[in-house]
Amino acid sequence: MTARTLAVVSAGVGRPSSTRLLADRLGDAAARALRERGDEAEVVAVDLRDHARALADAVVTGFPGGALRSAVETVTGADGIVAVTPIYNGSYNGLFKMFFDVLDAGALEGRPVLLGATGGTARHSLALDFALRPLLAYLRASVVPTAVFAATADFGAADDPLGARAGRAGRELADLVAGRAPVVRPDPYDEPTPFAELLAGDPPGS
Amino acid sequence: MQFGIFSVGDVTPDPTTGRTPTEAERIQAMLTIARKAEEVGLDVFATGEHHNPPFVPSSPTTMLGYLAARTDRLVLSTATTLITTNDPVKIAEDYAMLQHLSGGRADLVLGRGNTGPVYPWFGKDIRDGIDLAIENYHLLHRLWREDVVDWQGKHRTPLQAFTSTPRPLDGVPPFVWHGSIRSPEIAEQAAYYGDGFFANNIFWPKEHYQRLIGLYRRRYEHYGHGSADQAIVGLGGQAFMRKNSQDAIREFRPYFDNAPVYGHGPSLEDFMAETPLIVGSPQQVIDRTLRFREDFGDYQRQLFLMDHAGLPLKTVLEQLDLLGEEVVPVLRREFAIGRPAHVPDAPTHASLVEAARTQAVES
Repeated sequence: MTARTLAVVSAGVGRPSSTRLLADRLGDAAARALRERGDEAEVVAVDLRDHARALADAVVTGFPGGALRSAVETVTGADGIVAVTPIYNGSYNGLFKMFFDVLDAGALEGRPVLLGATGGTARHSLALDFALRPLLAYLRASVVPTAVFAATADFGAADDPLGARAGRAGRELADLVAGRAPVVRPDPYDEPTPFAELLAGDPPGS
Repeated sequence: MQFGIFSVGDVTPDPTTGRTPTEAERIQAMLTIARKAEEVGLDVFATGEHHNPPFVPSSPTTMLGYLAARTDRLVLSTATTLITTNDPVKIAEDYAMLQHLSGGRADLVLGRGNTGPVYPWFGKDIRDGIDLAIENYHLLHRLWREDVVDWQGKHRTPLQAFTSTPRPLDGVPPFVWHGSIRSPEIAEQAAYYGDGFFANNIFWPKEHYQRLIGLYRRRYEHYGHGSADQAIVGLGGQAFMRKNSQDAIREFRPYFDNAPVYGHGPSLEDFMAETPLIVGSPQQVIDRTLRFREDFGDYQRQLFLMDHAGLPLKTVLEQLDLLGEEVVPVLRREFAIGRPAHVPDAPTHASLVEAARTQAVES
């Protein structure tokens, strides 16, 4: 039995937030599916609204300060990530983008990610595949095939179709997370490239 | 231990008056500030190198050459010299000349600049940044130590039987520090050569610089130059002070809030909590600076950024009076307490000449 951490990131700004509601459903579904596969699952919620000012500061200063630093470490250290945003003007909101912009290059490489989004009507649902998916592809995350969109009406729909979609998406995330080695990122400050290799002239990242 | 100031040379409007100094005024102000540094008993003045507005110091050795003639004991340095886009042959020549003109009072901090387009402006590619820093310095290091150099690399024309002139003063090259904000490769490079490492220590939290300096110290020992606590570390810092700390905060806040680098971002209080910026009384500046030793170990050089963000010359000169009269004498005394005997001072021309002589006798 391996202990796993799931970071559940919401860029919702309302209180209460339907984006947080969807994020929690997806996080719970993924945790349940992980436990069915024999792993322990700890779910950690990250609400970007709590870090709105710190995110703007980090864009200016280049480093995440205070509580935002812990939030970044929670997400970059998680075995799997659920990332959910409200759709504004056909895309993720600014808060969502700013968070991914302050992560170090390579921080999410190969990391299993489940995407979700909320909007007033289902007309916005393709923003998941045309806006969120390319962002996570650029970060080289492993995004599961099912992304879940919740329109306002979904929260009161008969037979709970949202629950079925969340269950499928959660199983897909659990399949990616279970069986993987726990996340260990090489630390360039602990293990520098020896000078002889630097002098031989293959610059890092080439 | 050495104390001094470094200037970015920015031409920034004073946010309290809206007035922007001319380039001519800013250049003269930098010279006045450097001479004031010597007058108040500081050890080092360092200038930045920038090739774009709103910065004036594009030609560091011209400025430092002038200052060499107008000062007597100040060490003249840079923060930083662009090892990436300058031809290493020209760096070898310019800084050897400066070394002669200043009677051995010159050293330099190598860095990679603060703006991407500086690479194409000088015919280089930013993607080669680290590789240029490594290769160019390797050539510079040889040009100062070998009278005749045959050389071939990726980034400049090959050299056959080339001699860089003038040869370094007394056969001892200027001391080199390598500056970096985030690159472990540069800390590794400094450690490999046994050169100094200068951490800007201004923009980011101390935990970041601790990892960078920790890496440098560990690798300095690995490469056999001495124990980790003998590695040569320089730190930046920035301070603004008045007798009464509330006056300091009130006066500095508009400069902070509108500063080119971090203005319109975090509050002054948040930035002071997260980074080494100190705004307060001279005693607070002393207390905070003494903590650098706890964070980074005994070190060799402390430079403060004092003349930025549009602060008027008169204010900067008042700051230097406080720094020289009330802060640095206490820091010298306090830093000397408990400093192990085997921790060296910052290398000077005299100490390097002496070390070379000792080495020659032994071999």
